[in-house]
Amino acid sequence: MPVDATYLLQLTLNGLMLGLIYALIAAGLALVFGVLEIINFAHGELLMVGAYVMAFALPALGGQYIPAMAVALLASALLGFVLYHGFLARLRDKDFERSILVTMGISMVLLYGCQYLFSATPKMVNTEFGFAGIAVGSIKITWTRVIAAGLAIMAFAFLWFILFRTQFGRAMRAVSINREAALMVGVRPQSVARNAVVIATVLCGLAGAALAPIHLVQPIMGQFLLFKAFALIIIGGLGSMSGAIFAGLALGILESWIGGFFDIIWQEVAGFIVMMAVLLVRPQGLFGQAAVRTG
Amino acid sequence: MGRSKQLEAAGVVIAVALLIFLPRVSSDYVVGIAITAFTFTVAAAALNLVYGYGGLLSFAQLAFWGIGGYCTALWVMDAGGSFWTGLALAAGLNAVLAIAVGWPALRLHRDSFVIVTLAFSLLTFLVARDWVGLTRGPLGLPGLPAPTLFGTKLASTQSIYYLSLAFLVASLGVLYAIVTSRIGRTLLALKQNQPLGLAHGVSPTPYKLFAFAVSAALTGMAGGIQVFYLKIVDPSILDFYYIQAWLIMVIIGGAGTFWGVVIAGLVMAALPEVLRFSNELRMVIYGAILVVAVLALPQGIAGWLRERRIARLRATIERA
Amino acid sequence: MIPLLSVTGLAKSYQGVRAVDGVSFEMHANEIVGIIGPNGSGKSTTVDCITGFQTADAGDVRMEGAPLQALAAWQIARAGLMRTFQTVRVYEQLTLEENLLAAMAQFDATNWLDALFRTPRLRAADSSARARARTLINMAGLTRYHDAPVGILSYGQKKLVALISALMPKPRLVILDEPVAGVNPTRIREIEAALRLLRDEGETFLIIEHNMDFIMNLCDRVIVFDQGRKLTEGTPAAVHADARVLEAYLGVRP
Repeated sequence: MPVDATYLLQLTLNGLMLGLIYALIAAGLALVFGVLEIINFAHGELLMVGAYVMAFALPALGGQYIPAMAVALLASALLGFVLYHGFLARLRDKDFERSILVTMGISMVLLYGCQYLFSATPKMVNTEFGFAGIAVGSIKITWTRVIAAGLAIMAFAFLWFILFRTQFGRAMRAVSINREAALMVGVRPQSVARNAVVIATVLCGLAGAALAPIHLVQPIMGQFLLFKAFALIIIGGLGSMSGAIFAGLALGILESWIGGFFDIIWQEVAGFIVMMAVLLVRPQGLFGQAAVRTG
Repeated sequence: MGRSKQLEAAGVVIAVALLIFLPRVSSDYVVGIAITAFTFTVAAAALNLVYGYGGLLSFAQLAFWGIGGYCTALWVMDAGGSFWTGLALAAGLNAVLAIAVGWPALRLHRDSFVIVTLAFSLLTFLVARDWVGLTRGPLGLPGLPAPTLFGTKLASTQSIYYLSLAFLVASLGVLYAIVTSRIGRTLLALKQNQPLGLAHGVSPTPYKLFAFAVSAALTGMAGGIQVFYLKIVDPSILDFYYIQAWLIMVIIGGAGTFWGVVIAGLVMAALPEVLRFSNELRMVIYGAILVVAVLALPQGIAGWLRERRIARLRATIERA
Repeated sequence: MIPLLSVTGLAKSYQGVRAVDGVSFEMHANEIVGIIGPNGSGKSTTVDCITGFQTADAGDVRMEGAPLQALAAWQIARAGLMRTFQTVRVYEQLTLEENLLAAMAQFDATNWLDALFRTPRLRAADSSARARARTLINMAGLTRYHDAPVGILSYGQKKLVALISALMPKPRLVILDEPVAGVNPTRIREIEAALRLLRDEGETFLIIEHNMDFIMNLCDRVIVFDQGRKLTEGTPAAVHADARVLEAYLGVRP
């Protein structure tokens, strides 16, 4: 089969877009794992909440994209704050399983609560841009996608700036690299953990809000993305943010290519197959350090 | 010790007698709820063996439940086999899968075991939904026939009720024999202090794989019975909701407490149905209970009672 | 005569730091040998490497001539080498009796089917294990805690439980990592007497301990560690008189 260059480019661009969304979710998950050593099962629902806030804010603000996005991000930051102080702060260190159960409970309340209030029916969301877009050769990309991709890239730049150029970002990295040592040099674990949760929630809310005008908004949307994000942080190496981001981008493109040429089942399964292979060959993940903890 | 064993035995006899009598005094609706409560309780008790006793938080139970349902249904519908051999096949297949998934997963650290078992359940869901050639895809296999026992069709809800009651009693019997044996004690010991177990000559992997395989087999058979009660199997049998419900039963009953989880399973499966909550509202309540229980009562209700007993014991010994 | 335990050229590094640096020593049956040395001198790491809890970078460990390095920790235990841990380890939620039975369970001739079906063979093994547990519990003075969860015991009592657990299967060699740290002085005298009694019955002990009186009273031989190496070795009196030992402990060098 001759491969059409335009088709391939179209697939790659779609994949990149998908990959950016994956990367946003996985980066937050990896950040929370690195700093708090917990796996956040409610992470997908944080994305869903971001999408719902966007879906309600957009019509209320007359379809204006940027103000609605700002509302969604603000709501996400608030949600992250409540999530941390209301629940995660009450867990002790090394409470790995309890953290899973608590966040799973939160995820259930958010997911089914949303379904109870707004029904499981998907919502369609319109923006000021409608279906207008830009054309690259014969490929057309809608503005909502271009802006979403731009926002995601900006978010990564912002994340890099925080982690490497600010005091509290350095504290966060210190805790995730060597917890005991960081605590010894006087890093305050509470505020570091809170900051990590809030940043992760905002990244997730951004992903959800950016997805809202592109995909259908429904309560279940976060769950499946979350499971993929789990696979991504395993592939990238638990707690490695750059690993999670690269794995996210790669998976998005890979899935898009596979979807373009093979049966749909292979597209969905790809991430899990890669994850299983990584676990068997290199359990610490592609970007992870050799595991010290064997708990 | 002897007296508590006698109380246990008396409680079981009375409960089974009441359950045998139940269909005579209640409607098919209630009997149907009881069937689901029985299969759920087996699944929760099996999860308790893996998580409560073995210390392995397994999300693969969902896959075993679904595979059990599909395996039994396909065996009957496509291979023309009987329901009973289908159930046995489901148990065997699940045990083999549990060892195939569990063995590599146990080589990793505990965090990864959770994610590998979760991924296994999701893969199973994807296969059920997307491998149309095998599973018929999203439509599933409707119209499952009633099982036949010695030439009699178990067509009524009542007869399925007795089937699932017998399965409940047998499964709990097997699980009880395991958890009260040396094997159960070794599992608890490894969960509490694995390095000490190693120093006492225990090889952890066979014990954990055994618990995982037994729980997989029982959960698979529970799934098989459940789909023949529903008379349909489709990808919704792999809904995440099931594993969430079982986990809550285990947490509330007290992980590693046999009767606590059994009672929590029966009550929590039946109560929301009897109260006629909508599915969503029930899950919201379950989620809230899970959060509160894990944060406030990490050992479950049975664990909380045990701690109080220990506190009393400590006081008595110190006075002596 | 083949030694019961022989360690030759054992070495272990962490990220470039040599925790154990070429340690060699031997032990014979029916001995009580002590290991002393400042904190961080490699005592616990040596024990971890011998018992399979860590993998040595180099060296040779043999029990009665059979190499142990390739074995997992649980296999070494089954070969008859039991140990306790520096940080006290017990099964907190199991009763005292269950703790001791769990320590014994891998050492009788029963298998899984016996366990599941409670065969006569299992019941026989169980009742002899219970009898042994009762003897050890009485010896340790913990009789009234027989059916109590070990979690309710004090720190010193838990140390005793860890010790008698290790004795349950009558192992050929028992390694005790700081058995009397944090235990009150009268108890220490009792433990000392009990260990001596057990030695007279044929048991062999390798003991890491900081408590000098305990080591000097009890041991036939003392090995002194410093900075991952064996500094010296000899009778308690000889070691006590060795100026280098004092230096190692006080940190002064001529």
